[in-house]
Amino acid sequence: MKCARCLLRLQGLGSVVPSARTANRYAYLLQSTTAPVLTKPLVAFNSHGEASRHFHGSSAWAKSSPPSSDLKEKEKEIDKSLLSRDELFERVARNAKTKAAFDKAIEAFTKRDRRRRGHVEFIYAALQKMVEFGVERDLAVYNRLLDVFPKEVFVPRNFIQRMFNHYPRQQECAVQLLEQMENHGIMPNVDTKVLLVQIFGEKSHPMRKYQRLMYWFPRFKHVNPFPVPRLLPSDPVDLARLGLTRIANDLDAKVTVYQMPYTDITETGEEITLPHIVGTQSPDQVELLAKHDPSRPVFVEGPFPLWLRNVCVHYYVLRADPLPPGEKVEEPYDPERSLYYPLELSLELERDMGDLGDDFDVEDLDEGPVFAMCMTGQGDQATLNQWISGLQEANAVLGRVPTLFRLDAGPRELQSPAGESHRPHPPPETDPCVPGDEGGAGPARQEVDVTLEEEPQHSRGVKQ
Amino acid sequence: MSLNRIINSKSFDIGKSLLAFNLRYNGKFVPHPPQYRCFRTQARSLAYAKDLFLGQINKAEVFPYPEIGNEELEELNQFVAPVEKFFNENVDSKKIDEDAKIPSETLDGLKELGLFGMQVPEEYGGLGLSNTMYARLGEITALDGSIAVTLAAHQAIGLKGILIAGTDAQKEKYLPKLASGEHVAAFCLTEPGSGSDAASVTTRATLSEDGTHYLLNGSKMWISNGGFADIMTVFAKTEVVDQEGVKKDKMTAFLVERAFGGITSGLAEDKMGIRGSNTCEVVYDNVPVPLENVIGEVGGGFKVAMNILNSGRFSMGSSGAGMMKKLIEMTAEYATTRKQFNKKLSEFGMIQEKFALMATNAFVMESMAYLTAGMMDRPGVPDCSLEAAIVKVFSSEGSWICVSEALQVLGGLGFTKNYAYERYLRDCRILLIFEGTNEILRMYIALTGMQYAGKILTGKINFTTACLSVADHNVFKTPTVLSSSQDSALKLEQNVYLFGSAVESVLYRYGKSIVDEQLVLKRVADVIINLFAMTAVLSRASRSISIGLRNHDHEVLLANTFCAEAFFKNNYMMTQLQKHAPENNDASIKKIAEQILEKRAYVCAHPLDRTF
Repeated sequence: MKCARCLLRLQGLGSVVPSARTANRYAYLLQSTTAPVLTKPLVAFNSHGEASRHFHGSSAWAKSSPPSSDLKEKEKEIDKSLLSRDELFERVARNAKTKAAFDKAIEAFTKRDRRRRGHVEFIYAALQKMVEFGVERDLAVYNRLLDVFPKEVFVPRNFIQRMFNHYPRQQECAVQLLEQMENHGIMPNVDTKVLLVQIFGEKSHPMRKYQRLMYWFPRFKHVNPFPVPRLLPSDPVDLARLGLTRIANDLDAKVTVYQMPYTDITETGEEITLPHIVGTQSPDQVELLAKHDPSRPVFVEGPFPLWLRNVCVHYYVLRADPLPPGEKVEEPYDPERSLYYPLELSLELERDMGDLGDDFDVEDLDEGPVFAMCMTGQGDQATLNQWISGLQEANAVLGRVPTLFRLDAGPRELQSPAGESHRPHPPPETDPCVPGDEGGAGPARQEVDVTLEEEPQHSRGVKQ
Repeated sequence: MSLNRIINSKSFDIGKSLLAFNLRYNGKFVPHPPQYRCFRTQARSLAYAKDLFLGQINKAEVFPYPEIGNEELEELNQFVAPVEKFFNENVDSKKIDEDAKIPSETLDGLKELGLFGMQVPEEYGGLGLSNTMYARLGEITALDGSIAVTLAAHQAIGLKGILIAGTDAQKEKYLPKLASGEHVAAFCLTEPGSGSDAASVTTRATLSEDGTHYLLNGSKMWISNGGFADIMTVFAKTEVVDQEGVKKDKMTAFLVERAFGGITSGLAEDKMGIRGSNTCEVVYDNVPVPLENVIGEVGGGFKVAMNILNSGRFSMGSSGAGMMKKLIEMTAEYATTRKQFNKKLSEFGMIQEKFALMATNAFVMESMAYLTAGMMDRPGVPDCSLEAAIVKVFSSEGSWICVSEALQVLGGLGFTKNYAYERYLRDCRILLIFEGTNEILRMYIALTGMQYAGKILTGKINFTTACLSVADHNVFKTPTVLSSSQDSALKLEQNVYLFGSAVESVLYRYGKSIVDEQLVLKRVADVIINLFAMTAVLSRASRSISIGLRNHDHEVLLANTFCAEAFFKNNYMMTQLQKHAPENNDASIKKIAEQILEKRAYVCAHPLDRTF
């Protein structure tokens, strides 16, 4: 240890004007490896007056040279402060990992040492702990963290400092902090700017980062025309409602809860769990279904995944195959329809080629109508049957139309991080013995196999 | 088709050189029988507005301006004087508006004057007025919107069915009482789910088991006079077996008496304007209607309805003009007495402009209305539905603007209920809506003309080139239009020529799908409306000069002013009709509307909103 210090000292004396950068780099190296010794002197000289700035590298070394007698004491102290970077948080987290606790940790750090030794390490540590404490989306916390940096010390004072990367470690740390804000979609505010100016000056890297954030963030704030709420509802029914209104982009569509989730214990002690069934159907879809030819079957298909932020829900659709081209009946033109003006002209002229519009040539693939959609807590045939019978109230034709269930086992690889509760149905292989469901699920799966065979695989890919 | 295009586009370039060629065909073209199936059933071989779509001015139809004989005029004046007196003395429009009811004494007075049977033939006890005379009386009845609408609902549409398609027995049975006003008629077509879509009419008439009568079930909405009408023309779906033996639902018109039973009227609607007129829902519950009360044929109700609607519109022009003339008087009085900055209001340019606007509009409305009425009064079965629709659109919009301007002259006073302006404003708003909204009528005007032009363009290519280059700049060289308005006549001619080619290019561009290009159609309709208006004022002014009518120089001034203005508007609109015209914003307009309607709200963020 001593040897290292001597070496440093020699170096410091040897080169009269090692730039602050080199000094810093050394400091960084040393700090990260063996000796935390240098932190203190470094911080100390940082608070020096302006005049000495230019040569502070060497003067700092000169200053730090004499103390070897009280080294042990110091080491102890520094050790303590180093330890605390991570441990500070762990200590405060013993009670609860909350914002208050996090704030407390920051406060403890800032209060401990007026010179804020080891603040870079502290901030890195804090950034890592933010998610744990649930404060990763709190702008105030970021600002408080920035506040940990000592002010005015890292502001370049002359053109050379400005030209070179002044205090790169600190700047990098602040950029890292801003980047974490960016990743969590937090837009800095004026306080952030003021802090950055105080700490690093007007044209520093963190400041640039801030400016870039402020350039792009507002522009991208509303870039998604279909925003998903930040906090998803925890109730599966509400979540299904949200998901369904999101897919069925029709303001007229009505979401109906066909069955609320319900758990009961019967007299025999069996536990009965009724899954939720939430469906959506628009008046247009009702109309389409009413016009559906009852001799052609309708299909219940699914589950199809829908991701809402980090939650995956699954939905089922009620659909029919498109009419074969020969059977399409176009409504004949009725000349006695419009009382005021002709709805059609009897002309032999078609639209001119040049006026067909500048649309892209898109091959239209007729997918067949989708009549309704639903989400349920349990994707077996019995449950979906209940949905269909619920739909029958508004769509009498469903009573006459053969309904085929073409259910997949469900994409098991799509694990939702938010937990199993949002998964509409447990994968059958891993969880085959849900009491009430076996009767329903069994045949459903059989049906799947049967229908899958008669249905070419490619059509399944198209229908969402 | 592409061949046609080439030939046609060439024909424009060499339009003038084709002049001799045209003349040769011109004579041939006039008697050309319209072999197309026109939207109206009976078509007259000659029509003015339709020919404009071909770029042709059918001079014979509109020059000279129609007149009525001296005897007729005297007769008319005999009618007019007492009616005018009655309206000035016995009609309290303010009270009618406030009470939302026309007092029975007023109604009795109207009946005594015979105003309930203006167009009913004299043999049935009516006045037997011609369309022109009817229009003249309409000018006076329009002084009170409620009365005008009540009368119009009664005779312009309510009993028109009997007049147009009724049997002699029906006429004999119903017309006398209707003409005397003992019975009031109503026209029941609109339903909650059916405005202009006849297919969604749900009222049904089913033949009773013994086959002696129909049973009528359903409900009709917004029926003027629905609260007290005794005789109603009701349109209902009946089952008809067509030639191939297929059963079909078709509309049939019925004459339904309230006395048949089973009819209930809802509460009168509380309306914004024409508050004195009665508008309500009428419900039919198993109303027995005897077979002989079918108007026209069973299953022929659609044509009956269309004919009634098409024939009822032309009088709106004279009504609007009547109202405007009264308003101009009232407003001028105020403007010449009120002083600001030691100047009379009438000395301010912006106020003067308003009066000029009102006068021009009134003049144009009047000219168009009487021109159309005169055309309709000609022998034969004239098809003036297009002209009538044009008159309706122009006069309803003109009235609305002018009333608003008149109110503006008075400033805050006009806004109060102390003056009649606000009532006129409220009353005249309905003009843009009923008898076919102006939007729908524009479609009718444009599409009817396009159909006519399209038929000729596709059918007879040789004729097409002929009539399209009719810019034989000789139309008005003859003394039809006198020198003082020669300029305007040239403007009309130029516009008509351009319009013909614009219509042609639009037809070739869009073909059948023109039906869906509403913004294009709107412009076409607006141009044709202006063209017809220009014709009407020119024709009228020419007549006035040549017979030396009082103040004919003022008429010429109005006519020239209007023509000059319309000329530039037309040019602008026809430029917009061109492909890739920078003046044409349709694509953006559509996009805006689509985005708004998708969200069903105004989509912009608030100007005070921030993102950071």
